Amino acid sequence: MFWHNFKYSCKVLFRNKVLLFWTFLFPILLGTFFKMAFSDIEKNESLSIINLAIIQSEDFIQNEVMHESLLSLSKEGENQLFDISYVNNSEAQDLLSKEEISGYLDFFGDEVRIVVNRSGIYETIIRFVIDEIQSQKKLIETLIQKRVNEEIEKGNYEVEIGNILREVKENVLSQSVTLVNSSSKNMSYTMIEYYTLIAMACLYSSMISMYITNYKLANMKSVGKRIVVSPSHKISGLFGSLFASYFVGAIGLVLLFLYSIFALKVDYGTTLFPVIILASVGLLAGILFGVSVSVLVRSSEQTKTGVLVAISMFGSFLSGMMGITMKYMIDTNVPILNLINPVAMITDGLYSLYYYESFSQFTFNIVSLLCFSVFMILLSFRGLRRQKYDSL
Amino acid sequence: MEKIVELKNLTKEYHKLRAIDNLSFEVRKGEILGLLGPNGSGKSTTINCLLSLLHFQKGSIQIFGKEMMPDSYDIKSKIGVIFQDVAVFEELTVFDNVDYFCGLYISSKNERKKYVEEAISFVGLQDFKKFYPKQLSGGLLRRLNIACGIAHKPELIFFDEPTVAVDPQSRNNILEGIKALREKGASIVYTTHYMEEVEILCDRIIILDKGKILAQGTPDELKALANIEEKITVEVNDLEKELIEKIERFKYVLDVRYLENRLVIVYKKGQNNLEELMDFFKKNHVVYNKIFSERPTLNDVFLELTGKELRD
Repeated sequence: MFWHNFKYSCKVLFRNKVLLFWTFLFPILLGTFFKMAFSDIEKNESLSIINLAIIQSEDFIQNEVMHESLLSLSKEGENQLFDISYVNNSEAQDLLSKEEISGYLDFFGDEVRIVVNRSGIYETIIRFVIDEIQSQKKLIETLIQKRVNEEIEKGNYEVEIGNILREVKENVLSQSVTLVNSSSKNMSYTMIEYYTLIAMACLYSSMISMYITNYKLANMKSVGKRIVVSPSHKISGLFGSLFASYFVGAIGLVLLFLYSIFALKVDYGTTLFPVIILASVGLLAGILFGVSVSVLVRSSEQTKTGVLVAISMFGSFLSGMMGITMKYMIDTNVPILNLINPVAMITDGLYSLYYYESFSQFTFNIVSLLCFSVFMILLSFRGLRRQKYDSL
Repeated sequence: MEKIVELKNLTKEYHKLRAIDNLSFEVRKGEILGLLGPNGSGKSTTINCLLSLLHFQKGSIQIFGKEMMPDSYDIKSKIGVIFQDVAVFEELTVFDNVDYFCGLYISSKNERKKYVEEAISFVGLQDFKKFYPKQLSGGLLRRLNIACGIAHKPELIFFDEPTVAVDPQSRNNILEGIKALREKGASIVYTTHYMEEVEILCDRIIILDKGKILAQGTPDELKALANIEEKITVEVNDLEKELIEKIERFKYVLDVRYLENRLVIVYKKGQNNLEELMDFFKKNHVVYNKIFSERPTLNDVFLELTGKELRD
């Protein structure tokens, strides 16, 4: 009976062109659109080196941390951020007015003045980097002070400041290198969009399962009446349709992955396997979500579709797909909402692959999605069991 | 005779509207029972309650001697249903549709294939096996609907108005098919609001209105209930009112109607009514075009019982 239902559910689903469009083609079209829209932005961003001028002064040379850090960031190579010109005050102003540089730095004492003409992305980066180096400098001073105090407390009054300074400086320089590395590890806009796309494809699978489950319900379709009055066990029949929905949804995801890897040249890197696992579990959650809405919402097909879309959209909104601030607000004020939100479970799991070294958050999201799926299927079975209607 | 279905005191309400009111009847083995009534009389609701699709407030239903429940799979395996709406998958071919529904009853692939072929032949769709439902005409679609309901060779078949919106040729095919199923031993419950269908088809008839049984019995028993023996129709031009009043005073005349040059006289009973009328016309020099006598129909019964036409 299971295979009988599976076979014919697949036939029904593969014959529905509208459903196939949304399952197979729409994510691919959207992926292509993302590629067209975002790839140039990233390309430009990754290749641009910011032209920066520094007004030569004794204060700059004395500011060892700033001096070393900027030297490191202007070294030719993969991580070069700045192309630095050493100029006097009038030359700096001249270069800035001709827009040959994005800004210049003027050192006086321990302080640094950042001069820019406008507030674009490059100017923001200059400000951010200088602030970061300043805070690192403060950190060095604090660390040196701390180390000196520790030595004195130990009774060592002949503190070798030179050694401590070298040690702390190396530490800070290595930290500044870490800063550059970690920023390159952050997700690009395109990757965020592709992950959103995967999460969306998982959620859209709920449409497939809702469509095929409606055929099993006497209050939805005449075919449903015929199935309900047959001796076929409802649960085994539902399982057949459920697996067929999963099969069709999985084909959609496989096509999306293949297209994104081979046609759009998306580099999932080492995260490809975990992403596939999470997408598979997300797909299951989406399928079972569709089944539950189909069984529990006793209304027309249009209303059920509306409920699915509304819940998916609201879930996406809460999980930060339409602005990361919302996710932060929910996580801070009502964390339970995103713990029960399937969209958040999928996107959090995908983001965690980049933001966390360990798989604990990823595993937590996988388990959450599985719990959500079990809850959905239990609800559906309860709704179907010995079901009778008030009217048909 | 063995009772296949036994329904006792069934009451079904939709909110405050009583759709079925204390309904009791039985279906005997091998018979075709007709449920006759106008739209909204409770025929389909009764079928849906019998099939355990609908909740009901009161009553009991036994099929094949067992209480019918949503999970009475052993009972369901012997039942076939042809719903009023065509219940097929738009996405599957004729063959696949019949095979899918038959597969819900018959698990053996070989046996099923034989059953499916037989059902398709039975309804005359051999040449349309690879057609999709939207490629079929209304009549052929109804035949597919029937094939899907009977492919597993059920012992009890419910036909819920299977001939609605069907051309005369397809209707005759369907009615002949139902008779053939009965010949093969199936017991059948047939709901319709077409009088002529139940007259042709049914062994017993239950007339329903507003969820209640108005009358039940064989077609002859029902006609007897109507207290009508004979109906004479005469096509005659410009009949004087005085003559009509004289006819009304005939001994056995129950009712006289004269509309659009057509005189219809209903008799309670009596013999030689036609002869008496023809003599009367001769004496009064009435010239008529056509005159004929007929037995009362079930429509007359319904009219007599409810005071309204069945298709009102």
